[in-house]
Amino acid sequence: MEYTNLPPPNARASDEISQTNQYETNPRAADLVIIGGGCAGMAAAISARKNGIDDILILEREHSLGGVLRQCIHNGFGIHRFRSDLTGTEYALRFSEEVDCLNILYYTNTSVLSITKNHTITAVSPHYGVIVIHAKAIILAMGCRERSRGALSIPGTRPAGIFSAGTAQRYMNLEGYKVGRKIVILGSGDIGLIMAREFVMEGCEVKAVVEIMPYSSGLIRNIQQCLTDFDIPIHYRTTVTRIEGTDRITGVWLSQIDTANRPIAGTERLIACDTLVLSVGLIPENELGIAAGIELSSDTGGAVVDDSYQTDVPGIFACGNVLHVHDLVDYVSTESEAAGISAAKYIQNGFESYPVIHVIAGLGVGGIIPQNIRLTKMSDPVTLQFRTKQRFKDARIQISSNVQPLLVSDRKIITPGEMCEITLDRAKINSDIYIDIFENKRTDENNAPSNYKFSAEVIVS
Amino acid sequence: MLDAIVIGSGICGASVARFLSMYRLKIAVFEKDSDICTGTSRSNSATVHSGHDALPGSLKAQFNVLGNAMFDQLSYELSVPFKRNGTIVFAMNDTEIEALHELKNNADINGVPGAAVLDPSQLLYLEPGFGQRVRGALYAPSGGMVCPYTLVIHTCYSAAINGVKFHLNTTVLSIEKVAVGWTVTTDQGVFLCKYIFNCSGTHSDIFNNMVSKKQFHIIPRKGEHLILDKRLSPYVNATICQIPSNLPGGGHTKGMGLMPSLAGTLILGCPAYEADGPDDTSTGTGLEEIFNYFRNFWDCFPISQHFPVFPENQIIGSFCGVRAHSDTDDFVVGESEDAPGFFNAAGIESPGLTAGPAIGKYLVTLAAERYGFVKSSDFQPCYLKEKPFRDMTDKERHVAFQKDPDYGKLVCRCEQVTVAEIKASIHAPIGARDINAVKMRVRAGMGRCQGGFCSPEVLRILAEELNIDPLTVTQHGPHSEVLLGRIGIN
Repeated sequence: MEYTNLPPPNARASDEISQTNQYETNPRAADLVIIGGGCAGMAAAISARKNGIDDILILEREHSLGGVLRQCIHNGFGIHRFRSDLTGTEYALRFSEEVDCLNILYYTNTSVLSITKNHTITAVSPHYGVIVIHAKAIILAMGCRERSRGALSIPGTRPAGIFSAGTAQRYMNLEGYKVGRKIVILGSGDIGLIMAREFVMEGCEVKAVVEIMPYSSGLIRNIQQCLTDFDIPIHYRTTVTRIEGTDRITGVWLSQIDTANRPIAGTERLIACDTLVLSVGLIPENELGIAAGIELSSDTGGAVVDDSYQTDVPGIFACGNVLHVHDLVDYVSTESEAAGISAAKYIQNGFESYPVIHVIAGLGVGGIIPQNIRLTKMSDPVTLQFRTKQRFKDARIQISSNVQPLLVSDRKIITPGEMCEITLDRAKINSDIYIDIFENKRTDENNAPSNYKFSAEVIVS
Repeated sequence: MLDAIVIGSGICGASVARFLSMYRLKIAVFEKDSDICTGTSRSNSATVHSGHDALPGSLKAQFNVLGNAMFDQLSYELSVPFKRNGTIVFAMNDTEIEALHELKNNADINGVPGAAVLDPSQLLYLEPGFGQRVRGALYAPSGGMVCPYTLVIHTCYSAAINGVKFHLNTTVLSIEKVAVGWTVTTDQGVFLCKYIFNCSGTHSDIFNNMVSKKQFHIIPRKGEHLILDKRLSPYVNATICQIPSNLPGGGHTKGMGLMPSLAGTLILGCPAYEADGPDDTSTGTGLEEIFNYFRNFWDCFPISQHFPVFPENQIIGSFCGVRAHSDTDDFVVGESEDAPGFFNAAGIESPGLTAGPAIGKYLVTLAAERYGFVKSSDFQPCYLKEKPFRDMTDKERHVAFQKDPDYGKLVCRCEQVTVAEIKASIHAPIGARDINAVKMRVRAGMGRCQGGFCSPEVLRILAEELNIDPLTVTQHGPHSEVLLGRIGIN
């Protein structure tokens, strides 16, 4: 394999070899180990270094840093952060160059096998074999995986030609292969929308994008730029009810669905295709955290964290898509930098215990980050990030505590595809916070937000 | 001229081939698909049945109990994961309790060791957490679980090591009696042989009916299954199912239940529906039935203590196997009366996986006695495989890495499969030639991401190791190429 001839991953790595070969008798120690060298891991590492941590090690399972950004050759990255429109690869390069400039150590081709609550990491790499590392702090930055056909239990046969959108993207952009000619895309997640456009640009035919919800789960701008601008049809409240073909997929049956998500009889139609691409959701890849006994949120699929991105295990932090699935990488970077600062503080000062209050999802709100806020005496603002469960027009986001509104924010439209962000003044927070979203026009007596009428029940539940 | 041709490489074909390879014979196995073990023996509930529910006196009962007893030895000889986790068949009302006692009676007649009817308090001792609605259960301690495709693949490997030739992508078209034996016409040429062993699963009626007037017909019946994430495995021990009397299609299944697997995943299944042909493994109605059943009866199963509601978000996949149900309602095993030299292992449905090794042994012993086969002196009974990286301790992993640095590179993160193991699967006695074949040998792509991350890597390694164009790598044999062209070339 190609890696056997590679030089050690980077500058300081050569002097590690003698230690790591005797992995059991002489485990390596590190101040900070970051699991995952994608956009989250790199931003966290850079920020920890800038906040005074020298001994940092990034563990990356692919052969280079960058994570999924390496295969994102489309633009739209960095508009918020750098005020310029970059491709994913360019965005990643800005960070990996800085990692190199700051001389941060990283091992590539290195897969973490397990972590423990007392910060022992076991990993394996084709350079060093099994490595055991004791870290003062760990940042989880493993990203997410795609929901598969298996998870959807779509009926039918098991032919070749069914790909998740990210796998198709990897085959096309990293390996240089076409996965199909006549393509149906199920789901309208961002990767699926991006791939629809790329398929057309590569001379393939996208027969349809079908979405079970009445709206896209992707960014509004991607619907315009990837579908509308390329005349690709999208069918809402429609799904794939059966897959046909034995060797290669030959077609899919589409059906409209009713309000209970059941196929409507009489609306079935067979679309001939040689490829089905799935863009049906992302799942934080948290198996290491689960095995270590870190508490997870069923809403976000990621760890339960406080406003310093610390999990319920002191010294283990999480950021990026392993914490909750983001819409834009720019926000992953910001969040990961904050996690890097927190980890640096933890390493320098040890665990600081504070009373915490909880952030509770009320009407219309899905997963929230952070779930807990520490009542510190600091003056920095607290940022809440969350997604809605459904689409709202003329919406009001209302943050309240102690049956008193802390803040309201009106938005023209909110969709589950876009992350909402609210910044609160820390000084005003002293008890549990509720977030509600509702449509302004319907705010009457019978449709009041939960924190007024139902807050007691919310607490009970 | 060949001595023996075995049609099919499922559990029966593999077992027949392996036992035949103990004798000085020229043997060939014909498999119509691109890999060994692609039919019923691959897609089933992975259960080694105790034999409690087969009709006493039937071939099913006989070979089930004989086969069950062979598994401990097989698992050592062939490096096959196997565990006797016990089978629990529960009942929810008086009628079902009565049926339990009938089952227990059956079990005793069939010679199933240790079967007992337990009341809820005894059940609590055995496996805590059964729901309030469960009124009693039959416990069959000899029931077990096995990795079915590893069993068959390693049985085939053992046969191959002992000289059996495997012809993949070879469909038998016709069989004719000639003076010296049989001519077997395939899409890959015509072969002459003395003995034929018909182990062709859902196609077995076709070949029998070509040569014998004693005809039977296969009614293919689908068995669909859901697979749940191995995260749930700590909460399940025994194979647990409800007694099938009141289930739709109850007569054709062993009941709806929850089967742990040795890989850690849980299998839910399986209902019975007639298939649209012998190779119809499409999923559909059966999956709905599984969903409906477990939404309504989840609380009966002990796992509900930890997951109170059927955890549909833990489903990672589904599959369908086809039962080769014979209209004789029993296995058809033995030499054809009106076609000497033609042996059947036909109509093999559940408990076929358990019975298969015993059927293979029986048929070969029968043939050897009747036709005077001579034992070979260099038969190697064992196929020993390295422990998978997944099951190694960290120390063993490091030692493996020191021998081969390919053990240091994970390809499949969900199932922890390394480059070394994928290469080994390609260079095995019957090497993997496509992505599914790698998956069945080392589990790459079988985990929770279902190959989303590793399939491009597996494809690349296949192309490299076989020295072929990546565009020609297939998912599961001819016409199932994964990639359809290069970027920039139309």
